Amino acid sequence: MLTHDFLSMYPAKQAEYALAISYMLAFIGWWRFVNGGKRAEAELRLEHAEPAKATAAAAAAEQPWFSIPANVWLHPGHTWARAAEDGTVAVGLDDFAHKLVGPVEKVALPKPGAPVGQGVPAVVLASSGKSVPMLSPVDGVVSEVNEELVSDPTLLSNPYVQGWLFKVRPARLRANERQLLGGERARVFLDEAAAALAAKVSPELGHVLQDGGSPVSGIAQELEPEKWDALARSFFLTEEA
Amino acid sequence: MASPAFADVPRSFFQEKILLGMTPREYLRSLVTPGNALVAVILCVGLPLMVYRFAAGLGATTNLSQTAPWGIWIGFDMMTGIVLAAGGFTLATTVHLFGLHDFHPIVRPALLTAFLGYVMAIVGLIADLGRPWNMVYVFVRHGTPSALFEIAWCVVLYSSVLFLEFLLPTFEWLGLKRFRSVLLKIMLPLTILSVVFSSMHQSALGSLFIMAPGKLHPLWYTPWIFIFFFISAVMAGISMVIVEASLSHKAFMSRIHHHFDLAKLQYGLARGGAIVFFAYFFLKLQGVIDMHAWGYLWSGWGAWFAVEMLGFVLLPAILYAVGARNMNVKLVRLGGALGVIGIALNRLNVSVIAFNWNLPSAQRYVPSWMEVAVSLTLVVLGVTLFRFCVNRMPIMSEHPDYAGSEY
Repeated sequence: MLTHDFLSMYPAKQAEYALAISYMLAFIGWWRFVNGGKRAEAELRLEHAEPAKATAAAAAAEQPWFSIPANVWLHPGHTWARAAEDGTVAVGLDDFAHKLVGPVEKVALPKPGAPVGQGVPAVVLASSGKSVPMLSPVDGVVSEVNEELVSDPTLLSNPYVQGWLFKVRPARLRANERQLLGGERARVFLDEAAAALAAKVSPELGHVLQDGGSPVSGIAQELEPEKWDALARSFFLTEEA
Repeated sequence: MASPAFADVPRSFFQEKILLGMTPREYLRSLVTPGNALVAVILCVGLPLMVYRFAAGLGATTNLSQTAPWGIWIGFDMMTGIVLAAGGFTLATTVHLFGLHDFHPIVRPALLTAFLGYVMAIVGLIADLGRPWNMVYVFVRHGTPSALFEIAWCVVLYSSVLFLEFLLPTFEWLGLKRFRSVLLKIMLPLTILSVVFSSMHQSALGSLFIMAPGKLHPLWYTPWIFIFFFISAVMAGISMVIVEASLSHKAFMSRIHHHFDLAKLQYGLARGGAIVFFAYFFLKLQGVIDMHAWGYLWSGWGAWFAVEMLGFVLLPAILYAVGARNMNVKLVRLGGALGVIGIALNRLNVSVIAFNWNLPSAQRYVPSWMEVAVSLTLVVLGVTLFRFCVNRMPIMSEHPDYAGSEY
């Protein structure tokens, strides 16, 4: 009844293997074809459109733009946390944040006893009529705030020592730690932030690099006087929705 | 959301939500368009026909017989309707499970298309069943050896999941914040279930034909047909999303608040499509070899098979690849259209055209005009419901109150 060929097993299997192998060979060419062309070139151009990234990374390798001591953990929103022996955790903003925002006029800190949450805004930096919130790196209850800093915001120029913001009795430090960057990862994170900043503003920042200099304090206000707060928020992960 | 100019005119909830803020008179006047007139004509013919089918029975309305118990209500409404709804699970997987959030703006239209596709397929199925009231036995008797048992359960479960997913924009539209926040908590499990149920359902529709080796033409028949059904569902999903996004992007321009680069998303979809179509082409050839059916390639059926394989599988693959390479969105959309037609053709070939191929032509099934009219009515009904929802609910754009939401 059926007119199709009932061949023996072997010729059919041979044909199947031959087809499977030719498919795999053809697929290599097909894959390269599909993923090539104008679109791929455009994406490549986009990658190369950030020359400052490579330069900044190279510069950062020789002499890091932004310093970080060994014993602090960084939050991706550019705040740090450092555990003290008395069980509290000191919180501050990192060198990148300090140099990006520059001298601030006012620092608003949470009140002692107030709860703070990891990734939740806890601090507000204000300058020239604009303000930028920053995230707390850990969960807990504020035990002490840096009153000296409130009266003298220039202390922020030493962000890891005198420029600490507040201390926290941590609620779940072990879990919080997983979201924080320490040691080499923190170093890489700051280098990447430097590269991203350089890429964002390469025309203006180009000469800084050529001079061999490092960025001055208050980069954001230098670059975007009108919208420096938005630039800062984009790095501090506190962009307005 | 009253605009300031009309803020002093009190409007009822009904007016606001259903009549798009117009008075009944204004709303009715806005409905008078040539397109709506055509829709009205089709519905005026089709809806009474559906009533007639239930009053007079299948024999009076269809050309179905004991030799051809499945017609286009199964072959087109069910098989094709379901496979074209695959865009929902394809995109939900892409965005929510694989995390490719670039495609987020086109997930909701795809899910709505999937939901309405399923609703229409179920209506078509109820019309096709001789005794639809016997459906309840699926739930009380465990006919696990039956392929239809699996299909029935998959339809029920997946359409329930789609309904729940559809409730999210509905709650946003009606301002039911508390219901929405409850629903939001189960969206991830729902998405996972939707992928499970729909992939089971797509392949189970193929499994039906495993039981018909003598009836389905050997070029299409293979014991692996359920795998072909699943892969081609992914292909249909990708193609349908490309086509549907192009059409609705144009038609509902005013509904899109946050403009995104649709062409860029379509290049991404086309790249994926090119790979899947290409692989499917070779798998289908493998199926022919496996069935020792190559002798048929030189017959009339072989020519028809070649039309499906070359014109609607290989050609879309090439169009997708060249379109994505050269960033030519027209080629991509043409590929999408051919892909959609091709998968629809495949389902019709398997369930109607190449089914019962060895019967004398006098005994072969040709649909009656009433069957065609009912199928057309269901398509028109689906498109009309799609328009109704998109014009009211946050489908093409996010609801401003819930901007940035994951789902």
